[in-house]
Amino acid sequence: MVTVTFDKVRKAFGATVAIPGLDLAIASGEFVSLLGPSGCGKTTTLRMLAGLEQPTAGEIRIGERTVNNLAPSERDIAMVFQSYALYPHMSVRENIAYPLKKRGVPKADRPAMVQAAADLLQLGPLLDRKPRQLSGGQQQRVALGRALVREPKVFLLDEPLSNLDAKLRAHMRAELIELHRRLGKTMVYVTHDQLEAMTMSTRIAVMQGGVLQQFAMPGEIYHRPANTFVAGFIGTPSMTLADGEIAMDQGRPVLKLGTLSLELPSDHLSDRPDGTRRVTVAVRPEDIIIGTGSFRANVRLVEPTGHESIVLVNAGDVGFTVRVAGDTVLKAGETIPLDLRRERIHVFDRETGRRLNADRAAATADSVRSRA
Amino acid sequence: MMPARRSTTILANLVTWGLVLLISFPLIWMVVTSVRPQTELFQIPPTVIPRAITFEHYIKLLEETPFLRYFMNSMILATSTTIVVIVVGTLGAYSLVRFSYRGRETLAALVLFTYLLPSVVLIIPLYLMMVKLGLANTLTSLVIAYTTFALPYALWLLRSFMAGVPEDLESAALVDGASRMGAFVDVILPQALPGIISTALFTFILAWNEYLYALVMVNSDQARPLTTGVMNMLITSFNIEWSLLMAASVMMSIPLIIIFAFLQSYLTRGFGAGGVKG
Repeated sequence: MVTVTFDKVRKAFGATVAIPGLDLAIASGEFVSLLGPSGCGKTTTLRMLAGLEQPTAGEIRIGERTVNNLAPSERDIAMVFQSYALYPHMSVRENIAYPLKKRGVPKADRPAMVQAAADLLQLGPLLDRKPRQLSGGQQQRVALGRALVREPKVFLLDEPLSNLDAKLRAHMRAELIELHRRLGKTMVYVTHDQLEAMTMSTRIAVMQGGVLQQFAMPGEIYHRPANTFVAGFIGTPSMTLADGEIAMDQGRPVLKLGTLSLELPSDHLSDRPDGTRRVTVAVRPEDIIIGTGSFRANVRLVEPTGHESIVLVNAGDVGFTVRVAGDTVLKAGETIPLDLRRERIHVFDRETGRRLNADRAAATADSVRSRA
Repeated sequence: MMPARRSTTILANLVTWGLVLLISFPLIWMVVTSVRPQTELFQIPPTVIPRAITFEHYIKLLEETPFLRYFMNSMILATSTTIVVIVVGTLGAYSLVRFSYRGRETLAALVLFTYLLPSVVLIIPLYLMMVKLGLANTLTSLVIAYTTFALPYALWLLRSFMAGVPEDLESAALVDGASRMGAFVDVILPQALPGIISTALFTFILAWNEYLYALVMVNSDQARPLTTGVMNMLITSFNIEWSLLMAASVMMSIPLIIIFAFLQSYLTRGFGAGGVKG
């Protein structure tokens, strides 16, 4: 069991700064996802941890050991690559045995270890095939087998499911969760797919522009986004983000959103604004209620997906995205009553993007998984 | 099959075979002449198929001339050049593809520039250098000379092959416990093997057939390769020993034919590499 720590880690490629300064402490046995859009620095972070990139400054520790100057082979890690990186000239058996060979495991012990990894991942019948003779899912399992055959301290996974079709991806997600539960090892997982991050991780590190935006449990990230980037990035469909103003009126904060005016709970904000405060407001599609309420909204578009429909509406000059049950009958052009769950409205400072909620009202039961 | 299509196929076959015969005629004539008795050589009208077959020219060549010495020299020369070029070229190409350092692209361009220079320009400076180094008239001088013009080409060819090997494979090997050299040997080399083999073939053929440098830099029988040796031995101002020359030519071609026969698939892959290798 081992921790992973990034201490003020900076990475620059020439004049381009990929990671300006990263502080991240991953606890032992955690499954942490590095989540963010393309180019956010998540893969660079993982490669620095693997030893495939050298940090420009700062310290990376695995357990108590600083690993900055250690070669990848000396870090006791295993990595699954997005491309799987199976050695094409070796059979599945040779691929899985390669880390054992390189780390000096006696030749006599290797077959049993390879067989154990193959059994775990149901690769037994494929052991003598070459990677090109395998399907994408099988190749992915071989890459996993090669990673877990020698029980490293930390597993690193770089978008390992991104090349699989949707059905197989769902299946492999479940298998990875199961694998983590069974092995109890620290795993660091890079993905741009928030569904993967939300379903698999014990904690998620959301990154943007090389900067860590929020590092928290999936429920916390979903229900209490730390800033406007996280609010806009997490959740499908995305939250409605709109600029507004908040002013105090008889001790209660009142939000003005276009022509809409809403009274928020008195303890909604972490502090009381002096005068008018310019804010950005975020509302989840499921926190908007259609059919009741004092606001009038015009339906722009209805996107039925079967079990639910996504409805785009305009209310008070603001375009909202609303999630409704699949059997709700709505037509474009229709005018309907609309309301917002006020206690679920996320408020951010418009200049800094920082969260302003007191987070008493938005607290919900976190779906925190403890797989240990 | 439709009659029109059949006649087109027949025509295409005839044209193809005609071209093959045209191109291979000098080779056929060389083989035929080498086994034809001396008396038949200048017979009018000439015949393609000899009336009698004799191996006397081959026997004479092997027993009475320094042919075998030249053959050995050529073998040593081509093999040594190939080994030097492949070792230096493989490591150099790997460095150009995988490491980033100041002047990397300039270095690669400069190397290519030397390849673009006409051979004649380099002969005199190289010869003078060899004299100063005390290597004049040695096989070593030719190995060095051939390396100077084979290496740039090899470097660029190998570079395109190396660039085609995914970096993830090497990263995976490093994470799996290999050293940088270990990853190179275990993963990069097997992946670049077709490129290495085709580059080796190009270099070998280049060194085997080279004439100009051998003529200028070596003038003793001890170090002469086949190309200049055979010319020196069989062609004089007064006479050309056609039978022996043809027998020598056949024997000179044999190593290349054997290599082509076994490794032609690698060679054709090499031809495609410079252009479209991803």
